[in-house]
Amino acid sequence: MSAEMWPLPSTTIAVRRFIVQYGVYVSLGIVLVAGIFLTPNLYSSQTLEVIFKQGAQLGIVAIGQTLVLLVSGLDLSMTGVIFMTSVVIARVSNGNDQMLIPAFIVAYGLGGLVGLANGFLVTKRKVPPFVATLGVLILVQGAVQAYTLGVPGGFVPDGLGIVNQSFGFITIPLILWIILSVIFIGVLRLTPYGRRIYAVGSNPIAARLSGLSVNWLVTSAYVLCSLCAVTSGIILTGYVGYVDRFIASGFDLDSIAAAVIGGTSFAGGRGSLLGTIAGVLLIQVLSTMALLLGLDIQVQLIIKGLVILVAVALYSAARVE
Amino acid sequence: MKKIMLLGLLAMLMLGAVVFAQDAEESPYTQEEIDASPYLTSVLARQDEEYDTTAFKKDGPYRIALAAQGTSNAWSALFDAHANWYVEELGTDVISELLYADATASADVQVPQVEDLLAQEPDALILVPMGAAALSAPVERAMAQGVPVILCASTVETDDFVTEVGTNLYGSGAYLAQWLVDELGGEGNVVMMTGIPGVSTSDIMQSGAEAVFAANPGITVLDTQPGQWSTAEGKTLMETWLSQYGDEIDGIWSGGAQMSQGIVSAYLDAGVEIPPIGGGEFANGFLRQAIENEISFAAWQYPNAMVKLCIDTAIQVLQGESVPRFIDFQDYIENTQNFDDSKVEEYFNSTWSDDVSGPILFPEEKLAELGFIVTE
Repeated sequence: MSAEMWPLPSTTIAVRRFIVQYGVYVSLGIVLVAGIFLTPNLYSSQTLEVIFKQGAQLGIVAIGQTLVLLVSGLDLSMTGVIFMTSVVIARVSNGNDQMLIPAFIVAYGLGGLVGLANGFLVTKRKVPPFVATLGVLILVQGAVQAYTLGVPGGFVPDGLGIVNQSFGFITIPLILWIILSVIFIGVLRLTPYGRRIYAVGSNPIAARLSGLSVNWLVTSAYVLCSLCAVTSGIILTGYVGYVDRFIASGFDLDSIAAAVIGGTSFAGGRGSLLGTIAGVLLIQVLSTMALLLGLDIQVQLIIKGLVILVAVALYSAARVE
Repeated sequence: MKKIMLLGLLAMLMLGAVVFAQDAEESPYTQEEIDASPYLTSVLARQDEEYDTTAFKKDGPYRIALAAQGTSNAWSALFDAHANWYVEELGTDVISELLYADATASADVQVPQVEDLLAQEPDALILVPMGAAALSAPVERAMAQGVPVILCASTVETDDFVTEVGTNLYGSGAYLAQWLVDELGGEGNVVMMTGIPGVSTSDIMQSGAEAVFAANPGITVLDTQPGQWSTAEGKTLMETWLSQYGDEIDGIWSGGAQMSQGIVSAYLDAGVEIPPIGGGEFANGFLRQAIENEISFAAWQYPNAMVKLCIDTAIQVLQGESVPRFIDFQDYIENTQNFDDSKVEEYFNSTWSDDVSGPILFPEEKLAELGFIVTE
């Protein structure tokens, strides 16, 4: 006889709900308090600037990844989109500030097409999101290689260096992250579109039967995710000042990790952008603390892996009804 | 007569002392260092070892296979351009065909490619190994098949190949570190930014540098972290170091110019004076930064032009001439030696784009065709 057949005590239910709703914030709080003792330098203005600047780069991508996860999807193509954006900016503008706007238009146009391709494969061709977006990633990388003849170089306009401006620890990427987060949190919480995204992720069949255009909603999430990746690509290109083929390395998995740590479910329909923001900050603060402590890269990876595993295990256990 | 004999004896003694002193100067490694580094042991031994190639001797023209890194970055594109240009220069009566495979910088892709190349029965194989372990078995199979293997720009774990063209990476890492030590007067705090952990080029350079720092107790290594040979990663890491150590950092050791560009960018954003950097290369983008910001630096080299030497070596092998088992390009190609900021103007080329890493041996028109010349 399974224990799950008996009704759970109300305190157990309350604890589980608490973990699901507030686990990531409590974890972030614990890490921040630990930082006071372990790495006091964490709270210097310069370190906070670094955390927010680097966190914002991942945070913008994680917004898109959360949207896709909410509709039971996954986007592995975003690193390809970020790299493509970098190449497009360098090649279209050729280092000329006046050509930045046309370069942005081309980058967003191509990014939108990548999102449409992901959405089409997942909704119309029923390709599993992992395979579809991985295939698109390889396709995008191949197209960039073909376009650049294997030399992903070019000139980044000086004007894009504006993303490196900061006011204390408030940086331009941080401001953009906050603006985009507010917009998307508002959209998800307050608009019919947001509610439908959750509905599609929770139960696509019920959503379809209730008249929702499931394919359109899922595709829109992929398109928005790609557009977030383009935005992140623009920021990263200005940040680095060069076309770097490793410019977004790790962002695909880190963005998924941030969303999952923040409570977004792989099964879709559950999660919040506030949780993702906390997840991004948790990853960023831990990474910075590890560096401040001078830990080896191997130890850093182990810590990151453990945090993800513990978060997923806790959420999985807490969500068992 | 006695005086003449005495003078002669004195002259011989002095000559002997000079030769001895030179020998001592030319051996910068202690026995402890050599024993601790299998790489260094192997390179030093192979430098003095000749490979008898009479078994591979045959008449030309030759069909040579080139398993290259392939489409991945500017270094590799220029490597391929050098190969194509030089084969054309030599003419079809020397090399009738260059069989080419593009590994897209992946060992997984390269392993079957080497098999495919061998199936075409080339006279020699020039291999740019994308993985020391992964490519060992294909190299052994090629040698067993009677195809001489010339390793170019990297190495493998097996010892069963004809020769390797490259440079002493341990020595390169040590040179950058020693320059920093000298620049700091033997005292100060440094941070070390390495390439990709586990990749032999990165690990070997790091060990060379660490040996130098360990031998200088006045130098404190504040932290060692990988910058993944990426400008973005380099900048991110340097920002964190700056927030932690600030102006405590007296010098920076970097295992690659891409990362050094990120380091400089982080300093420029922070508005802090850039300390000496032991980690430049003959990379036009870094050199431009160095000139614009008057950076004090030392540079090592890993030129894409070394493929010319690899091709020459393959021809030598097929002509039955014995070759050293380790060939340092610094001894054969001009402008590939280590240098420092005093020579930055000599190496920087204002018409080249930031992606170009020199020296470039082919005509500038070809560089323009490839899109590496700045157009206003």
